[in-house]
Amino acid sequence: MLPRLAAGADVAVFPFVAAGGRDAVANLHLARGLRVVETPRAATVLLVIGRLTRALLEPLLRIHDQMAAPRVTAHWVLDDGPDPLMVAALPTALRLPAGDAMAVRSVAVELIIGGRPSEPAALTDVEPAVWRGVGPYGQGGTGMTGGVPYGRPLPGWAEDRDGLKLDQLQLRLGPAYPGLPPGLVLDLHMQGDILQDVGIGPNPFLAGPGDPPAVMADAKAFTRAFSAPVPVAELEVLRARHNVARVAAMLRHLGLTAESERVLRLATQLGAGDIDAVRRLAGELRRRRSLWWATADVGVVGIDGWVGPIGRAAGAAVDARLDDPSYEGLGFEPIAGHGEADSAGRVRQHLAEALQALELAERAGSRAHDPVAVIEGLRGPLAADRPTPTALHLALLSSLLVDQEWGDALTTIVSLDLDMEEAAFDTALQSAGGEVAQ
Amino acid sequence: MAAFGAALVVVLAAGSALVVTRWAGRAVDRAHLTAFERDPFLGGGTIETHAWGRFHVRYYSMALLFLAFDMEMVFMYPWAKVFVGEGAIALVEMLMFIGILLLGILYAWRERALEWA
Repeated sequence: MLPRLAAGADVAVFPFVAAGGRDAVANLHLARGLRVVETPRAATVLLVIGRLTRALLEPLLRIHDQMAAPRVTAHWVLDDGPDPLMVAALPTALRLPAGDAMAVRSVAVELIIGGRPSEPAALTDVEPAVWRGVGPYGQGGTGMTGGVPYGRPLPGWAEDRDGLKLDQLQLRLGPAYPGLPPGLVLDLHMQGDILQDVGIGPNPFLAGPGDPPAVMADAKAFTRAFSAPVPVAELEVLRARHNVARVAAMLRHLGLTAESERVLRLATQLGAGDIDAVRRLAGELRRRRSLWWATADVGVVGIDGWVGPIGRAAGAAVDARLDDPSYEGLGFEPIAGHGEADSAGRVRQHLAEALQALELAERAGSRAHDPVAVIEGLRGPLAADRPTPTALHLALLSSLLVDQEWGDALTTIVSLDLDMEEAAFDTALQSAGGEVAQ
Repeated sequence: MAAFGAALVVVLAAGSALVVTRWAGRAVDRAHLTAFERDPFLGGGTIETHAWGRFHVRYYSMALLFLAFDMEMVFMYPWAKVFVGEGAIALVEMLMFIGILLLGILYAWRERALEWA
């Protein structure tokens, strides 16, 4: 009786985004019968999306073993090719077509009603170190704890901004931390909830030896535009969808889940004729005080070094479409000059650029975009001879986050629209000299 | 006799509570967590130092201020009793007292004690 009732509820899923999985995970929040959870402990299904790289293997197995039984792993495969790393790491994982939410649900229901066994642990359960002092009950010894608790040293001291000298927690977060973009790894030194030092860890999407080359999954039309004609309207509708989806991501981060899902649904269905829908959304959000209170004066960036919508929100009137002959006669002018360099300004920028993109798409009609050397991508200019926008922004991230409180730091990161696949694609783009993979 | 019966019930209840808690303790102990399950969730990342650290309680100045003014409230309970007999004079005296406290709050505000440290 109880298992059948449990099987009727939404299935708790923890997504683990591997290479190429960014597109498929974006709409997971809209899938019927699934509930995306924030920790593996709360999940029944570990959903691996995309192709594993060697750098992702250890975090994946650690997360797998942090799930409580009964547990099952599903793998949304993006192509028909085998994923030997995944097969070797989790042989019991089920291969399912990408985007098939109902298949994920069926697997979980089978597990809950007892038709499928729970997966065993993937890693050996070994204590990092035995915590035992010198006394007969494990007490006493050197230091405050009488030993090294679970193999980890006690935190060191560091100056606090309030003039006190207190303990500093050191940890590595990611690559599958729900508040961060998939693949982002942060090496943090924290004093309470203040970030005192931030290091950017290695990008797990960077193809190592034996890994498949990185692809920029969510911007195929933009990468295709380097070498082949693509309708301008297609590029601009993609841009509008992306901008609206970024607003949805910020709403979800702030806990406005229902509104976030509504906006995300709008983003997935957006077409060239939906200008009024975006205009209505902008009007509704203007009255959403909690959105602006939580983002105002958070993550204020300088005007130098930031490109794309972030740079334009800060006041830099820079856009590769200005020099793109395919946009001539469409009345394109970059939206810039507000000087709103905080997270709230970036949300407003996304809304304004979504509207502008739809207007451009309508005006462009069936006009084709001829191949050019520099294309204004979703996050800024893309070219074979320069770093991608995310690579540029990652270099500025540490200094922006230091001294922020944890909640503000996460808001800042969400507002910066970082894409680690794009950063990994950087090297692939340059080595291909613009002739990029489709 | 009734007292003896009550004492017997208390002893039996205490004895069964002891047995149940011992059993529950052992049952929970058997729910073994692996080393990975005990780890904090860091999105696949690891923690380098033990979490047994002292961190800054940033609301401490506000908390101290609250405690100080909360204790002043204690004076208002006997005052309520006096107010019934004395009337307007007691009210004026209490307003003077609260006025002096308000000066204290203004001083704390000027010293930025109400800001997040």
